[in-house]
Amino acid sequence: MTTRESAPGSTGGADVPGPLHGGPDDDYTPEQLATMPREELDLLGARYDDVQVLHVDPGPEPGSAVERQAVRQVALTFGLAGLAAFAAFVIYAGSGWFLPDWQWTITEGGWSAVFTPMIGALGGLALILVGVGMVLYTKKLLPHETAVQDKHDGSHFDRVTTGATLVGGLHNSGLARRKLITRSLVFMGSGIGLMLLMPLGGLIRNPNTGDPLGTTSWAEGVRLVRDDGSPIRPGDQQPGSLETVFPAVAGGNRESDAATMLIRLRPEQVTVDRPRTGQEDFGYGDYVAYSKICTHAGCPVSLYEQETSRILCPCHQSQFDVTQGAKPVFGPATRPLPQLPITVDDEGYFVARSDYIEAVGPTYWNRERI
Amino acid sequence: MARTATAPGVPTTRLGKAALEVDDRLIVAGPLRRTLNKVFPDHWSFLLGEIALYSFIVLLLSGTYLTFFFDASMREVVYEGTYAPLRGAEMSAAYESTLYISFDVRGGLFMRQLHHWAALLFVASIVIHLLRIFFTGAFRRPRETNWLIGVALLVLSFAMGFTGYSMPDDLLSGTGLRIVSAIILAIPVVGTWVHWAVFNGDYVGEFIVGRMYIVHVLIVPAIILALIALHLLILVKQKHTQFPGPGRTEHNVVGNRLFPAFAGKAGGLFFIVFGVCAALGGLVQINPVWLWGPYNPAQVSAASQPDWYVMFLDGSTRLFPAWDLNLPGNYQIPALFWPTVVLPGILFTLLALYPMIERKLTRDTASHHLLQRPRDVPVRTSLGMMAITFYVVLLISGGNDVIAEKFDISLNAMTWAGRIGLVILPPLAYVFTYRICLGLQKHDREVLEHGLETGVIRRLPHGEFIEVHQPLGPVDEHGHGQLAYGGAPVPKRMNQVGGARRAIRGFFKPIEEPAQVELEQRQDEHGLAAAEADRELTTSGRPSDGGRPQEPRD
Amino acid sequence: MSTTNPQSDAPSGEGAPRGPRRWSRRVADGSPAAAARARRRSKQRRRVANVAGLMAALVLTGTLYSALSPAYATDESNTSESSAEAAGRELYERSCITCHGENLEGVPTRGPSLIGVGEAAVYFQVHTGRMPLVRQEAQGPDKPAVFSDEEIDQLMAYVQANGGGPTLPSGDLREGDLTEGGELFRLNCASCHNFVGEGGALSSGKRAPSLEDANDLEIYTAMLTGPENMPVFGDNQLTPEEKRSIVNYVQTVKEQADPGGFGVGRIGPVAEGVVIWVVGVAALLFGIFWMGSKA
Repeated sequence: MTTRESAPGSTGGADVPGPLHGGPDDDYTPEQLATMPREELDLLGARYDDVQVLHVDPGPEPGSAVERQAVRQVALTFGLAGLAAFAAFVIYAGSGWFLPDWQWTITEGGWSAVFTPMIGALGGLALILVGVGMVLYTKKLLPHETAVQDKHDGSHFDRVTTGATLVGGLHNSGLARRKLITRSLVFMGSGIGLMLLMPLGGLIRNPNTGDPLGTTSWAEGVRLVRDDGSPIRPGDQQPGSLETVFPAVAGGNRESDAATMLIRLRPEQVTVDRPRTGQEDFGYGDYVAYSKICTHAGCPVSLYEQETSRILCPCHQSQFDVTQGAKPVFGPATRPLPQLPITVDDEGYFVARSDYIEAVGPTYWNRERI
Repeated sequence: MARTATAPGVPTTRLGKAALEVDDRLIVAGPLRRTLNKVFPDHWSFLLGEIALYSFIVLLLSGTYLTFFFDASMREVVYEGTYAPLRGAEMSAAYESTLYISFDVRGGLFMRQLHHWAALLFVASIVIHLLRIFFTGAFRRPRETNWLIGVALLVLSFAMGFTGYSMPDDLLSGTGLRIVSAIILAIPVVGTWVHWAVFNGDYVGEFIVGRMYIVHVLIVPAIILALIALHLLILVKQKHTQFPGPGRTEHNVVGNRLFPAFAGKAGGLFFIVFGVCAALGGLVQINPVWLWGPYNPAQVSAASQPDWYVMFLDGSTRLFPAWDLNLPGNYQIPALFWPTVVLPGILFTLLALYPMIERKLTRDTASHHLLQRPRDVPVRTSLGMMAITFYVVLLISGGNDVIAEKFDISLNAMTWAGRIGLVILPPLAYVFTYRICLGLQKHDREVLEHGLETGVIRRLPHGEFIEVHQPLGPVDEHGHGQLAYGGAPVPKRMNQVGGARRAIRGFFKPIEEPAQVELEQRQDEHGLAAAEADRELTTSGRPSDGGRPQEPRD
Repeated sequence: MSTTNPQSDAPSGEGAPRGPRRWSRRVADGSPAAAARARRRSKQRRRVANVAGLMAALVLTGTLYSALSPAYATDESNTSESSAEAAGRELYERSCITCHGENLEGVPTRGPSLIGVGEAAVYFQVHTGRMPLVRQEAQGPDKPAVFSDEEIDQLMAYVQANGGGPTLPSGDLREGDLTEGGELFRLNCASCHNFVGEGGALSSGKRAPSLEDANDLEIYTAMLTGPENMPVFGDNQLTPEEKRSIVNYVQTVKEQADPGGFGVGRIGPVAEGVVIWVVGVAALLFGIFWMGSKA
C-alpha cells in the first residue's frame, strides 16, 4: 500500500507501520519490556542515549541515623523557608492593617523604614533556604551516580545524504541555468530590501538645519537670570562667587546648552586675569561669564575653587582656569569653556552682548565649519 | 498501534495513563528521556553560566512587574507624591513614576532594587563565566560559535544595563545620558546625524526615554532570549567540555545525569540566586533616585558614575589625554572618540575574535572537548591576566574621584597613577603570570617524577638528613616516577592520595564520628592508603639519591 | 502627610523630637556656638525620646549657664571694647597672631588678613576645628574644635568689632521650603558636595567635605563666607530664606532613614559595584563551591 492510494474519500492506509519504521521498538517487544524491572529499564534507556552509569553510590540506608539526620536537616530547611515566606507575606499584607503603615514618611524612621528591608531579608532568606534545602536533599539523600555519556562527531553518512538532497533540489530548480530568473531575483531582492528598510528613514533628521549645535538662546540684550527668573545686578555677588545663570527666555532654565556660570573674581584674581585673545572685553568689571557645559563630554562643570581659580568637571576631571580664559589645565578636555560677552543694561541688570561666539559643549566633526 | 487493555506495558496508574495520553499526541517520551539522561560534568565552575541565566530570569520577572507602573515619558509634571523633599518639584513623568514605584507601590521599592541588583549580578556573572571559558580554553573548536554568542550577550547586557540605568531620568542617569550624547556627537563624519536619529534632534528632547524603554523591555530582551536559547541549544548539541581526569576523554562526558541529581542542584542554585538578589534588594539600597533628584541639564553631582560594568569606559575617558585631532578642512575628531568608541570597539573585537586569533597563532585546528588548566597554557593565561589588569586599572580610574575623596589622595595624582599604571601594569601582569604558570608546571612535573613530600625526615646511616618522598606510581631504578603529566591536577599533599584518613564529612561541622570512619576504612580497603599501607617509603626522590643503598625496613 | 514641609509648618514646642527646634530659637539670644552643637547627631536623638528629653534638659542648663556666666556678654555697647572683645583679643594674640598678624592684618605667605571677614567666618573656621591650622597644606582639615564655645564667642566678638563683616544669622535656620532647598542644593552645592552632601574630591588633594557632621550654623556660615576654595554665596545671591531652605534640605535628608535598607554611603554606583562583587558574587561563589563539594 502506498500513500498514493489515500485519495480523498478513501479510508487511507491501513494501521500498520511502514517499512522504514524501526528502532528500539523492534528490538524490544512490549512483553519483553514488561518483564524488566524499573532500574533495568532506566539503564536500558540511558544506553540508547549513549549514557552508561558507571557507579552508583546509594544514598543513606533507609532508616539509618545518617538518613534520619539528613531528613531532619532538609525538612528543617524547608520548614524555615516556609516560615520566612509566610512572615514576609504577613509583613507585606499586614502593614497598614494590623501592623503600622508601610508608607514612607519622612518624619519617622520607624516601620516604614524597615518595611522594605524586612521584605527583602525574609523573602531572600526564604528563597535561599529553598535552594539550600534542594541542594541538601540532592547531596545527602539522593544516590550519587557517576555516568558517562559518549560524544559523537558528525556523521559522514548524514553529510553526504543531506548534501545530495540539497544539491538535488537546487539542481531541479534549474536556477543555475535560468539566468533571467536569477537576475530578476537579485533585482527584486535589493528592491524589496530597500523598501522594507525605508521606514527607518523617518528617524533621519538634518542636524545642520539652523545650526542647533552652534547656537543657544543667548542673544544681544537677553538678561542673565537665576533659576527662579530673577535678574542680577553687579552688586549682588560677593567677590569669589559663582552663580548659575540662564537666558531670560521661556524655558531658558531647562535648556541643555544655555546654562552659564557668572563668576565674580576676587581682586587678586583680577590682577592675574588673562582672557583669551579677542575676548578681553567679554567680562564686565570683575565679572566673567563662561558656559557651564563642559567642552569634553557636556557635563555641567561648576566645581569652582575660588582660591585656585579652577573649575573642575565632576565627570572626567577636566580642570579649567577662569583667570586664563577658562583654558583647560588638566584632564581630557581640549578646548576652553566658551565665554559669554556680558554687559549691564539701562536698568542695571546683566545682559548678554551676543550669543556665544562659538559652539558650546562637546566637540563634533564639523564644529569649526558652521 | 492499536492497544488493548490487556496488552503488556499499558499503564495501570492514573498518572501513567495521563502520560500515555500526552505522549500519544505529542510523542515526547523519546526527547524527554534524552534530556533527562543528559550528563553534566560535576564541577563548580560549570555553574557560573547558570548564575547568569538565573539572574536573567529574575530580571524578566521583576522587570515585567516594574512595567506595570513605569511611565516612559518626558512629559513635565509637578510631583505631588509621598516623598516630601521633592513635593512641588518639576520633573519628567518617567522620574515621577519611578518615585511612585519607590514610595507609593506596596513593595515597589523592593522590586526596583531587586531588579537593579539582579542586573548588576547578571553582568558580573557573565564576566566570570567568560573568564572561566577563556582560561580553560573551552572556546576552542568546535565552540567558537558559542563564544561569539556569549560575547554578543555580554555586549547586549551592557545595552540593557545602560538603558535601564538611564530611563528613570534622575540627575545621575541624566548626566550619564548627556555623556552618551557627547560620545555619539564625537563619531567622525556621521556623529551629528546619528545623534539626531537617536535623540530625534538636539539633546535631550522628548523622545529618548520612550525609545530607550522599548529597547529595554522589548528589542534587547527578545534578542537576549533568542541568543540564550541558541547558546543552550548549541551547548546541548555539542555536549559539555570537562576537565581531564580518570576516564575522561575527548569522546565522553563524565558526571551526573540531569535527572534527578543535576536538576536538584540547578534548581537549588536558581533559588539561591533569586534569594541573594532578593536579600540585596531589600537590605542594601541601590540607586536611591529620590536622593539624586530630577534631571536638569544645569545640575550635576560630584562623583557621577555609571554602573560598574560601564565604569571602565568612564575610566578610560578620564585617563585619555586631551588630544583632539584636527584634520584638514577644519574637521575634528574629538579626544572623547578614542576612549569611548574606538577602545571598546577594539576590546570587544579582540575578545570576540580571540578563538580565531589563537587558532591562527597556534595552528591548532583540532576539536577539543577536554579543558586545559590555565598553567598549561601560560601564554593565554598571561594574556588574560594582562587584559584583566588593563580592565581593572580602567575600572578603578572610573571611580578615582570617590577613591581620592575616601582615602584622601590627590585626584590629579590618581589620574596620573591610572595613566602610568595602564601602560606599566599589564605587561608586568603578563610576566608575573607567565612565571607563576611555569613554576606551577614545574612543580607538577617534580611531584610526578620524585613523588610527594611526606614531611617525614629520615637520617641516613652516614648522617645525611633526607625528606622521604612518596612516589605516585611505579618508579624506575633511579627512584623516578614513570607517570606522564595528563593535564589533570596532580596531588600535592599526602592527604590527597589517602596518606591520611579520608576527610571527615561535613561542610560546616563534622557530620560523622571519626572513630566510625576509621572502622569503615579498615573494613573496605580501597584507595592508595589502604592498598599501599606497607609500601616502602624509599628515597627522597632526588636524583642524587639514585645510587644510594636502600634503607633497611623497619 | 498633609503639609508640604513638616519641618517648618509644624508647631514647635512640646515633645522630644522638637528638641533641636528649641535650640534654633535660642540662636536669637546670641548663643549660636552652643546651639550648633546640639544639632549634631540629632538624628539618633530623635529616635530615642528619653535621650532627647535628657538632652533638652542639658541644653536648658547650658543656656542658663551661659546666660549667667560673667564672661558672656554680647550687648551692643559701642563705647569701648567690651569684655568679650578683650577676652577675644587675648585669645587671638595667644593663638592666631602667628599667622594672621597683629591687629588681624595678616602675614604674607602665612595667613590672610581677617579684617572684614566677620564673625560668621570666625564661627565656621574655629567651630569646625579648621582653625587654628596645625600645618600648611592643600586644605585645612576639620577636626575637633580647639576652643570652647565661649571662647569662640569671644573671638567672634573681637573680629566683628574690628572691621565688621558677615554676621551670624538669627532665628530658625531650618525655616525654609524643603523642595526649594533641594533644587538650590542640586544647582549650587551638589556639584562639589555630592547629591546629598556626602562630599567629593576637588583638584590636587583638595576636597569638598562631607556635610555629615556639619550643624545648621556651620552650613549657613560656610555659604555666607565661602571658606577656603568654596565660592561665596552672599545674601544677594542666595537670600537668607534660600540659605535656610538649603540648610533645611541638607539636614532633613541627612536625618531621614534610608527606606531601601543599608545606604552604602549614598554615593551611588561605586559603592554598589563593590557590594555586588564583595557580597553578591562572593556569596554565590561560596554557594557553588559548597554545591560542588562532596557530601
